[in-house]
Amino acid sequence: MNRRLSGPGAWILYFITALLMVFILAPLAVVVAMSVSDSYFVSFPPQGFTLKWYGKILQDRDFLAALQLSGLLAFSTTMGSLLLGIPAAIALTRGRFPGQDLLKGLVLSPLIFPALVTGLALMQLLSAMGSGDARINLLIGHIVVTSPYVIRAVVTSLLLVDYNLEDAARTLGANRLKTFWRITLPQIAPGVAAGALFAFMVSFDNYPVTMWLANSEYSPVPLVLMRQLVNVFDPSVPAMSTVIIILAVVGVLILERLVGLRRAAAM
Amino acid sequence: MSSDSQALAPASSRLVERIALRLTLPAVLLAVPILVFLAIFFFYPAINLLFFSLLTQDAKGVVGPPHTLAHYTRFFEVDLYLRVFWNTLRISLVTSAFAIVLGYPVAIVMSRSGPIVSRTIALIVIAPLIVSVVVRSYGWQLILVNSPNGLLNWALMSIGIISEPLAILYSETAVVIGSLHVFFPMMVLPLASALGKIDPNLEDCARTLGAPWWKVFLRVTLPLSVPGLVAGFTLVFSLTAGSFVTPVILGGTTATMLGNLIEQQIFVVYDWPFGAAIAMVLVLVVFAINTLSMRLLEGRRFRSVS
Repeated sequence: MNRRLSGPGAWILYFITALLMVFILAPLAVVVAMSVSDSYFVSFPPQGFTLKWYGKILQDRDFLAALQLSGLLAFSTTMGSLLLGIPAAIALTRGRFPGQDLLKGLVLSPLIFPALVTGLALMQLLSAMGSGDARINLLIGHIVVTSPYVIRAVVTSLLLVDYNLEDAARTLGANRLKTFWRITLPQIAPGVAAGALFAFMVSFDNYPVTMWLANSEYSPVPLVLMRQLVNVFDPSVPAMSTVIIILAVVGVLILERLVGLRRAAAM
Repeated sequence: MSSDSQALAPASSRLVERIALRLTLPAVLLAVPILVFLAIFFFYPAINLLFFSLLTQDAKGVVGPPHTLAHYTRFFEVDLYLRVFWNTLRISLVTSAFAIVLGYPVAIVMSRSGPIVSRTIALIVIAPLIVSVVVRSYGWQLILVNSPNGLLNWALMSIGIISEPLAILYSETAVVIGSLHVFFPMMVLPLASALGKIDPNLEDCARTLGAPWWKVFLRVTLPLSVPGLVAGFTLVFSLTAGSFVTPVILGGTTATMLGNLIEQQIFVVYDWPFGAAIAMVLVLVVFAINTLSMRLLEGRRFRSVS
């Protein structure tokens, strides 16, 4: 749609952009390079090539337990966010009632509120209530911060759905639920999937809420990594980080396949 | 004919009303679960924390009345806390300024290139967003280490530009670099989407009329992309101000931010009301920036109307 760049300014822009791409990728590349270094301390340049650090972390009970906990937490968070978020998105796009803008502002407000404070406030409430299970607390906190992502993604795709098809289905005698299930849902499926993936990834990486709600028994991946980073100086820390990078790349590729990355980012 | 339509009118409007009611009522109900959930686990705790910041904690650690503003006055009177406050504002401001200056070239190239270049840039900009902040800050720690073992020092010393290693890690500079890396996409994406909406003919016009490229940018592109710029600035500033991980890994003990101070007060000092007060200061900073940018955008809209 837009015209291509040209002229002397264009080359400067391309050059700066290229430099920034290096800036963005450098810290990730360094981590991956260090993870295969055959040395006992993390120091540049990496020496030789070994996979023994991956062997080491695969036997690290804390790390494996954290991976399992984070995976389970992110999955349950995603389910919870979808369950609460999809109906909310329908209310925001299909109904017309006073205070709809206010409602939208309210349900999206966890996005602007500093997550660190969200977590702290929730911890204070939960400890006052005496809720002891860290896993439940983490689930609640993660749903608070991930549900806006689901709502935004589903609202975006609901706005693109052809109303006439829904009307046609209703006219032909399908009830509301059936219309949603057979007509609306297939059309918003990419948006729902993108929202689900966002929720999963945000939950998996979340630190500012997690740091308040986790305990020594139940520590998700980012917390375990942070602890290792302070206490361990061998290349097993880069190896753990590389595992996380690989998981993220897989997530990005799925997202790109499902909705296209630019569109997903705009959600 | 006319009497027919007159007879029909009230009936049809009643029908419309009934349909509207039927469509509306369940639609509102669909939002009830999330509202209840957020009310219990987000709004109530947040307000509760505000009240907590006004209470007193006795020697036994029991929090209760009398109500006081002492925690806030203490925050703004004690040098140490005040310094952390200014640190936070300065780091957030410098980070967002760099994000603006560096975000424009990337966003322009992204919105004005062929599909392959544009997609590759989008992939590189967005992908790291999904990698944990801990991992990304750690990557910068490996690059900036204050000994010859860091990537940067090793590279500079190998080429012979410096003979003594630079000491960038554990400084505000390191925190700014790390925050810029973490939140750069938050600037580029709104900017690129704002730039994509500008009619290319406007820029062509200016160029045809003889304006050099920098003048085209300053007089046409920049003013028209202000909504994206403000959105990006607000996001980068708010997120940087609320960070915790990056200042811990890259700032050490010198570049402490509000987030670190809150964590310290709660987990180390156990001073709950004071921790809550600092949290409220952070919330206030973020709200102020958001309100300011919204005002700015609204003011623009009114000016363009008149």
